[in-house]
Formats: sequence, C-alpha cells, structure tokens
Amino acid sequence: MTATEPEAAYPLPQPGPTAESSRLRARGGLATFIRRSPLSAFWGCIAAAIIVMAIAAPMLAPFEPLKSDFRAMTKPPNERHYFGTDQIGRDVLSRVIYGSRASLTVALGAVLFGTTLGALWGLASGYFGGRFDIISQRIIEFLQSFPDLILAMAIAMALSAGFGTVIVAIAITRIPFGGRVIRAVVLSLKEMSFVEAARGLGASHLRIMLRHILPQCVAPYLILATTHLGVAIIIEAALGFLGVGIPPPTPTWGNMLADSLNAGLVPPWWLVLFPGLAITITVLAFNLLGDGIRDILDPRLRGAMPRRAAL
Amino acid sequence: MYSYIIRRLVFGAFTVIGVSIIVFTVLRILPGDPLVAIFGPEGFTKLSEAERARYMAELGLSDPLILQYLSWVGDIARGNFGRSFFRAESVGEMILRRGPLTAEIALLSVILSWLAGIPVAIVSALRPNSLGDNVARFFSILFLAVPGFWLGMLIVLAALFLFGYRAPLTGPSLWADPGGNLQVVIGPAVVLGLGQAAYIARMARSSLLEVIREDYVRTARAKGLSRRPVISFHALPNALLPVITLSGILLGFVLAGSIPVERAFGTPGLGYAMFTAVRERDIFVMQNLVFLYAVVFVLLNILVDLTIAWLDPRIRYR
Repeated sequence: MTATEPEAAYPLPQPGPTAESSRLRARGGLATFIRRSPLSAFWGCIAAAIIVMAIAAPMLAPFEPLKSDFRAMTKPPNERHYFGTDQIGRDVLSRVIYGSRASLTVALGAVLFGTTLGALWGLASGYFGGRFDIISQRIIEFLQSFPDLILAMAIAMALSAGFGTVIVAIAITRIPFGGRVIRAVVLSLKEMSFVEAARGLGASHLRIMLRHILPQCVAPYLILATTHLGVAIIIEAALGFLGVGIPPPTPTWGNMLADSLNAGLVPPWWLVLFPGLAITITVLAFNLLGDGIRDILDPRLRGAMPRRAAL
Repeated sequence: MYSYIIRRLVFGAFTVIGVSIIVFTVLRILPGDPLVAIFGPEGFTKLSEAERARYMAELGLSDPLILQYLSWVGDIARGNFGRSFFRAESVGEMILRRGPLTAEIALLSVILSWLAGIPVAIVSALRPNSLGDNVARFFSILFLAVPGFWLGMLIVLAALFLFGYRAPLTGPSLWADPGGNLQVVIGPAVVLGLGQAAYIARMARSSLLEVIREDYVRTARAKGLSRRPVISFHALPNALLPVITLSGILLGFVLAGSIPVERAFGTPGLGYAMFTAVRERDIFVMQNLVFLYAVVFVLLNILVDLTIAWLDPRIRYR
C-alpha cells in the first residue's frame, strides 16, 4: 500500500469543529458506514459482541473454565454442556468464552505496541530520511526476512512463557509492516506544500511531525491495525497450538486445540471444532471490519470502483 | 541484467548476515542464561553449580558472545549444523532427511494455489459482482480467516470418520514410493494451498481489473481480436507480474505455516522437527532451523525478484 496521491486520498483536516458538529458528523459517519457496507457493519457488530463476551466472560460462562468435573469427562455436547467437556471434565463452552480474553488481549497488546511502534518508527525515518532512514530500512528488511510465525516462535521460546512474552513476540513481528506502510505515506506527505508552509513559519521538526503529518497517518494506521488484529489472533493461536503460547491451564483457543491432540490417538470432534470456529469467526469479523474501514477512509477505492471494491 | 543480478545477490548476502545476527540475538542473548532456555526455569534451579558450569563449558557457552557468534557462523559455513541436545542424529542429517518432504509440500501448495486462484480470479474479474464473483470473494475472505492447522485437524478427523482413512505416519521419499509419499504430502499441501489461493485470487483479480482497462487491451479488442485471446495473451501475462511477487512472499509464509500444519497432520517433515525442537526447548536446533528458514526465505525472494526482472524490463533498467 503506497499513497501516491495523499492529497486525493486523505482529505486535509478541517478547521476546528464544534462539539455539536463533530457529534453530528460522527452519527452521519456511522449511518454512512452501515449504508455503504452493510456486511462490514454486521461483522463489526459481531466483533463488538466478541469484545463484550471477553469482558463479561465470568457472567456468560456457565461453568468455571478451570474446574474439572470427573463425572463428565470427554462427553460430547449435551444439554448440560452445550459444547461438551474435555478429557478432564472442563466445560468447553466456558473455556471458549474465556479463551476470547487471552486472544483479544494478546492481539490488542501486540497491535498497540508493535504496529504503533512500527508506525512511529516509519514516521521518523520517512520524515528525517538520510542515514537514519537507510539504517532503519535495513533493520526492517532483516526483520522481514523471517516469516512472522517463525520469528514469533523463536522470541516466545527464548523468553520464558507468559502473557507478556507472547505479546512482545507478536508485536515485534508487526513492527516492519507498520514501519513500511507509514514511511511510504510520510515520504509523499512531506513533499506537500502545507508541510513546507509550516516549516516556513518556523515550526520545529517535532511540531511538524506531530501536528501536521501524524494526523494524516491515522487513516492508513487504522486500516493496518484492524488487519493486524486478525493476523495477531491467528499467530497467537498457532503459538498456543505449538506449545509456546500462554502456558496452560489458562484457556486459550490455541491451547485447547493443542490439548485436543493429547486426548488420545483420535481427538474428539467437539474439542477440535469449537475453538477453531471461535478463531475463524473472530478473525473474519476483524478482517471484514477492516475492509469496511478501508472503504470509508480510502476514498480512492470509493471513487474508482463504486460497488466493486465494497465488500 | 547482470549488474542487477549482482546487486541483488550482494544485497542478499548482507541480509543473510543481518538475519544471522538477529537469530543469534534472539536465541542466545535474549534468554539471558541459555541453560534456563534448555532446562526451563524449574529444571534450571535443580541443577547444582558444578553441573551448570560443566554444561556451559561443554556447550561452549562460557566463551564471550562474539566468539560464540563467530564459531556458530563458522560451523554453518562449513556445513556443520551441530547436534541436537537430546538426539543422536545431527541437525544436518535431519534436514536432509526431513527437508525434501517440506519442500515438496511447499512446492505442491504453490502449484495448487495457482491452479485454484488464477481461474477464480479470471472469472471474478471478467464479471465483477456476478454471482460467481461474490461466491469467490466469500471463499477467499473465509480462507484468509481460517487457521490452516485447524483446517488440517478437521480434514484428518473427517477422513477418519467418513472413510476410516488415516495417512501413513512415515514419509517415504517421492522416488521410492510415489503413492505413499503423495498420501503424506497432499493433506498439508491442500491446506496451505487454499490459504495462499485466497491471497492469489484477490491479488490477481484486482490486478486483472486494472490491466483490462488499459489502452492496449482496448486497442486489441478494437482491432477485432476476440475476447479470449486478448485476455489470455495480452492482459493475463501483465496482470500476473504482481501475483508472482506475492507468490514468493507467500512461500515464506508457507514455510512458517507448515510448522503447525505438519503438527496437525503428523507429517514427518522439517516443520514437525521445528515443533519438536520448540517443545523440547532445544535452542541449538532451533537456532539453526530458524536461520535455515530465514535464508531460504531470502533466497526465494531473490529468485522472485530476478524472475520479475527477467520478465519485466522496466524493473531491470531502473
């Protein structure tokens, strides 16, 4: 994603809106969003529902996710345990619900640290250019020479297992992408006349970066961040599946899938189906929400391909 | 062209050096004490001081870091990939034994992704917003979200329940037993191929939509050439250039994706070895395998860049 014509792509910020007009615009924006891409709006609601599920997990889960019921071990779905129970009698539905907490926390943390750090790095390296930019580009290239799961595995294995470790491991794999995309945007932005004008007025580098260029980077950042949420959820699940994720007994979707393979030669189908379904639906929701945000924020797609690009 | 090749190779060499530094930093310096990484925090506390010192000296871990790094790089340059901490087989032998299987899976999955993705993209791009286009788009979005290893587990389960079939657990080589080899390889290749096909179809569709609107395509049509040859000989070759680049990038992700997918299928490839190394906290094997994967990824990208330059003179002369 390179912004060749940022002027057309990202409209300049309007002079200070009043509280009321911004509220009106926000409501109008939401209505436009729903009208323009109903599918994205629908999946946006699902994403919101998953977030609510993660927050309200203790209220929603019918059982304790860690409590074993030795009278109901490896039971298929029934009217007491809707998703069945695992090999030590823990309720799968409750574990899936609690699993959303781990997934979302890790994904959000990884994107907040990784994508943001990468974006700020890209902002600085694109703005200053020169030797700093060249060195930054090389480092980013080295980081990108690893398929992201492999780098995350190595980091997660090197630091001993835990919540923070997994977040750091995934965040580091997100840095190069943020850096690349935002740098490309900044490179074209800094040639524009409003930046020159600000410099002519004697604004400092820091002020130009934060007040004039940063606001223009918000749209590409948001698009990038929503896509990265989906990627981060899949990487987290893969790490859990490979045994370098958040250590058990914490219920995570990846851990549950890994556990199901330990249940015997043939894993019971309900132990495989439901956690995977949860991953798929969550990633689908964030991806489609991201597509919708892209349609709204990137008017190049809106103008050129009216109904084609909108899914 | 030659200067481009040389420039690209020199660049690649630098990248490999950078990659080796990152691998060393992550797996040797980051854990603090490598013995903690090997034995785990609990195991580490059980070791006596003398044992710790003995292990450190035995593994060459008490040397200064720069010496350790140089001796590691020297070993690799001499083709010595070291030995697992837990197994008799050397890492080099293991790579030679298991590598072909994973390479086969990767190659087959790329072929499958093109076979599935390109026709879908052509249909989608020629009739945007038709029923076919929407169905294709639905599936490509779905496959972007489905974790490959989960799909693999479902396929294993379905094959078992519906047909009572389970793929053989050993991986015979392609030459010795083509049938048995295919049974082992096909599952992971299909799963990884579908994941890539989603990206390929998306990219090829948008690229084809752009190319179709070019002047030269309209000229060809205006000259009276019918639709089919214009698409297949004029539009498609140009539209496929970005798809080739994407395919190279995706190959790297197949290498990574094959780790959990091979675990899901129980395929005895290099990905499974990586999973075992992680589970056993075998940092020496891990270090060499991670480095190997990264180098393969870098080489693949160079290969793709050179292919693109060979196909597209605009890049070569820039």
